[in-house]
Amino acid sequence: MKSTYNSHIKRIVLGLVVFAVLGFVGKIVLTPKSFGKYGPYRADAIDEEANREIRHMTNASCLTCHPHEANIHLTGLHKTISCEFCHGPYADHIKDGKVYGKLPVKKKEEIKVMCLRCHNKAIQARPGEVIKTIVMPAHLEEQKVKVSHTCDQCHQVHAPLKYINRAKKIVGIKEKN
Amino acid sequence: MGKPDAELDKERRAFIKKVLNGAIAGSLLLVIPMPIGAATEEIPEQIPGIRGKKWDMSHQRFAFIVDITRCIGCGSCCVADRREFNVPDGYYRTWVERYLKDFESEVYVDSPHGGFDGYQSPRTDVEVEVRDTFFVPKLCNMCKEPPCVQVCPVGATFKTPDGFILVDPKRCVGCAYCIQACPYSARYLDPVTRTAEKCTWCYHRVRKGLLPACVNVCPTGARKFGDLNDKNSEVYKLLHEHEVLTVLKKDMGTYPALYYKGLRREVV
Amino acid sequence: MDALNFVFPNDLHVHWSMMIVLYPYLTGLVDGSFIVAALYYVFGVKSLKPISRFSLVFALAFLSCAMFPLLMHLGRPERNHNMMITPSPTSAMSGAGFIFTVAIVLIGLIVLLVYRPTLVKLRLKTKGIMNILYRVLTMDSTNLSPESLELDRKIIKFLVAIGIPVATVLHGYVGFLFGGVKANPSWSTPLMPVIFLFSACVSGISALVLAYIVIKKLSNQPVDLGCVRTCINILAGFFILAFSFEMLEVFSHSYLRTWYHHAVEGLLNGPLFYSFWVWQVGICSLLPLLLLGWLCLFKLKASMFKFFAAAVSIMLLLQVLLMRWNVVIGGQLMSKSTRGYTQFHPEWFDKEGIITVIVLMSLPFIVLFIMSKIFPLWLEEEKAPS
Repeated sequence: MKSTYNSHIKRIVLGLVVFAVLGFVGKIVLTPKSFGKYGPYRADAIDEEANREIRHMTNASCLTCHPHEANIHLTGLHKTISCEFCHGPYADHIKDGKVYGKLPVKKKEEIKVMCLRCHNKAIQARPGEVIKTIVMPAHLEEQKVKVSHTCDQCHQVHAPLKYINRAKKIVGIKEKN
Repeated sequence: MGKPDAELDKERRAFIKKVLNGAIAGSLLLVIPMPIGAATEEIPEQIPGIRGKKWDMSHQRFAFIVDITRCIGCGSCCVADRREFNVPDGYYRTWVERYLKDFESEVYVDSPHGGFDGYQSPRTDVEVEVRDTFFVPKLCNMCKEPPCVQVCPVGATFKTPDGFILVDPKRCVGCAYCIQACPYSARYLDPVTRTAEKCTWCYHRVRKGLLPACVNVCPTGARKFGDLNDKNSEVYKLLHEHEVLTVLKKDMGTYPALYYKGLRREVV
Repeated sequence: MDALNFVFPNDLHVHWSMMIVLYPYLTGLVDGSFIVAALYYVFGVKSLKPISRFSLVFALAFLSCAMFPLLMHLGRPERNHNMMITPSPTSAMSGAGFIFTVAIVLIGLIVLLVYRPTLVKLRLKTKGIMNILYRVLTMDSTNLSPESLELDRKIIKFLVAIGIPVATVLHGYVGFLFGGVKANPSWSTPLMPVIFLFSACVSGISALVLAYIVIKKLSNQPVDLGCVRTCINILAGFFILAFSFEMLEVFSHSYLRTWYHHAVEGLLNGPLFYSFWVWQVGICSLLPLLLLGWLCLFKLKASMFKFFAAAVSIMLLLQVLLMRWNVVIGGQLMSKSTRGYTQFHPEWFDKEGIITVIVLMSLPFIVLFIMSKIFPLWLEEEKAPS
């Protein structure tokens, strides 16, 4: 085939057109189906996110199976604390409606650390009207208790003032209002 | 400490009762199938008006309000969030900052581990007399004009018609442009999936009528979430009454849907 | 770390590291060498003829390797085609794939058309696989009639002319990408694309001058001094512009003293003191400015001129690299808390590490070497009508 003076240009243009067509076809083929339904994104991703595994439930879900703790917890000042914060998320405990893992129960020094997370007065940023704070070991010394005691030796962890109030009633202390 | 005999008897009775109750309850388990594991529908809903209806994409409006005057820095929100999404260590969807002001108006801010361990001790590296100190929880501001969505090259992060900004983990290429663009540093690149991630205001929980995980665990009500279409919701009332509500970095022009009550001027 | 330093927890990690320093550097070199080609083919600066073809092949070699730093940076490089299939209309980055494709096709076509007479001659002379290669490159046409050459000349001029805005966008969009990030006060400025572009031209011209002098020295051939002199004059012009804009940016902000400025000032006078003020501005800007002034305004002996032209080129190549480093990595050291700075520790064996940088910087030279075997770099005969 004899090339004319512009054959090479014609072949280049042809090549570019083929390239562009392939590009357009590729774009149509590879664009996901739900793309553009609500905007320049894949709309299916919304439902995928909505169906993510829920790992925490609410306190109501724990208390349906743990009524004993429920009765204590719901009457105390700690009723606003989530069970799952101390014990771990629901999804680590129940799978497909069955118990499949045990959630940890804190013991001894762990309890003390846990309590001081919120109740340590040394962190001055805790507003007094929101939470009662104490300083350790001064708190124990004031109550004339051994400084090696952990918090749960006097306070019921689910209802912290339960035994304190009972003890006060026994001893005859009237609450200052 | 000597206890009167009557009290000891009472305690013994209480103890026996407790054990018996446990034993009875335990034996009942063998007889009556207990409802172990309630599905989400069986738990009372926390956001009224969502269950039992088809989710209307274009008419939802939610707001998140953080009340600085009630945050005690316990870090429950950080723990719940990390556990809910299995967030890798060193990256944060939400965090709590501690601000310290001295008498020379110098501001010291820290956020050890994002507040995940709570704040268990005062700052040891600051030896000034503390004039004022407070906690500030931070999370995605769910901007109405999100700069992260604007810069994403592939449409992997987007604003849904119901006002949530989500990330499509199947589409994200991990370029980290959105992370640079967020003025609130709410985003991070997950080292495992190598895609961008951020707080989603627990979209998956909200869709099922549950509160976001951090709101659910907050013991003092410092985090509030609600439906603005519900005139009885706490957030609606706060936004429509004479409360002073502010947003972060207003000059960025992002129009956040995250409001702060009691925010201090030192907070950036 | 002092007690006053506070970095947002998510700001501790620097996400855009050395690969993102390298990418604008490579496209900048492409832009700069393309400018030299444009000056010859469109604006008719005859003294640039000796490196006219070299500049095109150089640009093509570097452009062919320009995407590798980005692919090494992406968390999911296997999805990079998404940027071209579903580009977001509001994102500066989504233009990357398109502008790169247009630029590489354009420069490729220009190279093929400029070299066509030489390639046709080589096709007729060679056999075997090289013959097939040359046939493909010449579109299997051996027509070298005056009409075809005249057509080629017109098309080349047209393509190089539209290549100027294409090259501008190719590198300018990167500057805009940074300049458009309002969340980072050290990046968000309308001057960012301008600074990037002018410093790109500086790096490209310096690279050409250095490569020209070095290659000719290694192959024991003479250097066309008139060509190098023209390059140095143009380089001086672009560098004065680039440096002026860089300094204007810093000084106008330090005068305006708006809310975020104290954080930027703390960055430049703190973590970036050595890399910005001492190295980028002092050693690699003020000193080359003086040298360039001396080289442009005074008559020097040929060997002295060549030596200092090469020395200035090395300094300016370093200046542009430092500028990219200070902008990209430096800008991320400043936390969005405006209260602190994080640290960057370059790794050796990371996928975005130092070894990768060395490999990706060497790759264009390897490509250039391979291309020099297909496209002869130097015009031995001045017969080509371009």
